Amino acid sequence: MSLTDLMSMARPDLGTREKMLTKMGKREFADCFQCAKCTSGCTAFKLLELNPQEVMKLVNLGFTGQLVASEIIWTCASCLKCMERCPQGASPYHVIMALRNLAVEQGGKVPETYLKAVSQILETGLMQTVQKVTTNKMETFDREKLGLPKINYPTETFKKIFLKALEEHEV
Amino acid sequence: MKVAVFWGCRILTSQYAYEMSARQVLPELGVELVDLREMPCCGDIVKSINAFAAKYMAARVLALAGETGLTDLLIPCSRCHFTLSETQHLLRSDEKLREKIATLLKDEKLECPSNMRIWHIIDLLHDAVGLNHIKEKVKKSLEGLKLASHVGCQTIRPSTIKRVDDPETPRKLDELIQALGAESLDYPEKLNCCGAALTFSHREAALTLAGSKLKVLQEKGIDGLIDTCPACHTMFDAKQENAATTIGSKLSLPVLYYTQLLGIAMQIEMEKLGLHLNQSPIERILEKLVKRSN
Repeated sequence: MSLTDLMSMARPDLGTREKMLTKMGKREFADCFQCAKCTSGCTAFKLLELNPQEVMKLVNLGFTGQLVASEIIWTCASCLKCMERCPQGASPYHVIMALRNLAVEQGGKVPETYLKAVSQILETGLMQTVQKVTTNKMETFDREKLGLPKINYPTETFKKIFLKALEEHEV
Repeated sequence: MKVAVFWGCRILTSQYAYEMSARQVLPELGVELVDLREMPCCGDIVKSINAFAAKYMAARVLALAGETGLTDLLIPCSRCHFTLSETQHLLRSDEKLREKIATLLKDEKLECPSNMRIWHIIDLLHDAVGLNHIKEKVKKSLEGLKLASHVGCQTIRPSTIKRVDDPETPRKLDELIQALGAESLDYPEKLNCCGAALTFSHREAALTLAGSKLKVLQEKGIDGLIDTCPACHTMFDAKQENAATTIGSKLSLPVLYYTQLLGIAMQIEMEKLGLHLNQSPIERILEKLVKRSN
């Protein structure tokens, strides 16, 4: 027995829901009772129409496929207010992060900047390159000129293990 | 007190003023900083891509901190602070994860320490150094300055793991500002997010969030905004002009790191505090202080 979304004729995918439950460990999103405290405090709600309560409902009904393919999961500002205020101890923030991970695994739409940051980590160990800063008086400074110590970049071994870790999906 | 310090990508690659001012003020207050052998990313951005790989990265930083032989670790960035605190919490409670990560760390002969105390600038100064000790070190009171605090979202939430201050009514940064003689405004928009995390996918929305907060603060007639996170500071200081254009307002609000403000009160040379690197009009605060002392 299962539901069908009459707007899109989408069928729920309870397997993925189970997979997410495992992925999230103890954070039981199944306990969500739709009180909407998360949405009322959501940083991204007003500007980008992220509705965490709706995300929770869809995941619980098994409609993860639509969410994974949707751009909405990339609008979370990670302010953690939803997680803090949830009376049920469910965490929309972690659900959204798990959906993002699924989008990556399934080759869905992932904002390029995230992928760039990860390749940067594979290259230097840091998510962005060292920048020179220009002051309001148009003087340019780097770490050395400011008297700051050199950055100790991670070893090649780290990069190899990081690559291995990226292939793990926790389930 | 000797603490290991993990700066994180944002501070190391662009937010130099935070690092400079922290390296100046902390030793003056009896906190010796020990850098890690390696300075990698904490894994924050990787959480969106692969939660496990992110936890591995955070655990590896904890292991590098453990190598120093110290049991206190300072993490001045809100996002790194949350990433490492959460991973430490999970490693303690989830045996399966702990074993899996230990296996990966073993390849580099690294081991996760079980007793690392994680600090942020706010609680290190407020709880470990103490307000009284800070007051003693103030050479020039900042009396007459009307300031506002911005606490990074991820330093105070979620309260299910050890955080720096109360998740809904943080007070420590305000008390730290008051310890220097300045006033710290209570305002309804205090918990509003800077939007930094959205710059990866929704730049305009991110700038709107930062700009709106700056605008309400500017309208309250304050002298400046004080923050303690490189991500928030980038939004409020370096991107203030872009934020103004995005929301269609004129913004001109001085924004300083708390460590810079503290350095001013301790009368440390301006250049050593990286004050020449701030992009917001901080000379207004400095002029007011000079005028007042004449």
